[in-house]
Amino acid sequence: MIDSLTDSLEQYMNLVSLRQKLVASNIANADTPGYKTQDLDFQASFRSALDGGSPQAVQVSGLKTKNDGNNVDLDREARLLAENAMRFSVASNLMHSAISQVKEAISGGKG
Amino acid sequence: MSLFSALTVSATGMAAQRTRAALLVENIANSETTRTPEGGPYRRKDAIFTTQDVGSAFGTEMDAQLAGSTLSGVNVAGISVDTRDPEKRYMPGHPDADANGYVSIPRINPAEDMVDLVGANRSYQANVSAMSAVKDMIQKSIDLLR
Repeated sequence: MIDSLTDSLEQYMNLVSLRQKLVASNIANADTPGYKTQDLDFQASFRSALDGGSPQAVQVSGLKTKNDGNNVDLDREARLLAENAMRFSVASNLMHSAISQVKEAISGGKG
Repeated sequence: MSLFSALTVSATGMAAQRTRAALLVENIANSETTRTPEGGPYRRKDAIFTTQDVGSAFGTEMDAQLAGSTLSGVNVAGISVDTRDPEKRYMPGHPDADANGYVSIPRINPAEDMVDLVGANRSYQANVSAMSAVKDMIQKSIDLLR
């Protein structure tokens, strides 16, 4: 959009919001029999997103499966929910300052 | 890729948990009911949850193009009714007693329903938290325009 930093930030915010959507989906399905927790491999997805690839949701391994075949861990999802919100907040503040700099330049420091 | 579909997902979760809580409360209220329109004592009900793709046709198609996956909400697929035989309690004076003096009482364990109700409540709160976190993220994006 403005420079390479804001391009990366944009990809980062896209990925964080996609991850937040998966977390919301996991929480909504916490009591659905047979549902498996979905998540992103964040590092791999971010690297591929910078090269123009699209992220793929994967099933999370290593979680305890309950008797009904569901493996959603609400504590894990609550942690990710808070973490994603904070990561998004950091990225959006950085983006805001980048935009403010351009605005400042446009107004010639008078604004 | 819009965050609004995450709000829809949380909303389906809240609706499903609300339905479940309503059924559990109905079970507790009717734990001594010996007459129903269908005849016989009340039978325990529970909600059956399934995953359900959310969003409008346009939104779903766009998400599929961008992310290669669609989001799953939750849907109440049906209501299961307990088919076990009711409990028999010896109450000869009761108007619904059979020839031997036994009354059919619903097979409901209040402790089981109370525990499920706490679970439904907790899941509902988790969905509310998710919705609130996503709402804050949307607000942050809007604030970029200021």
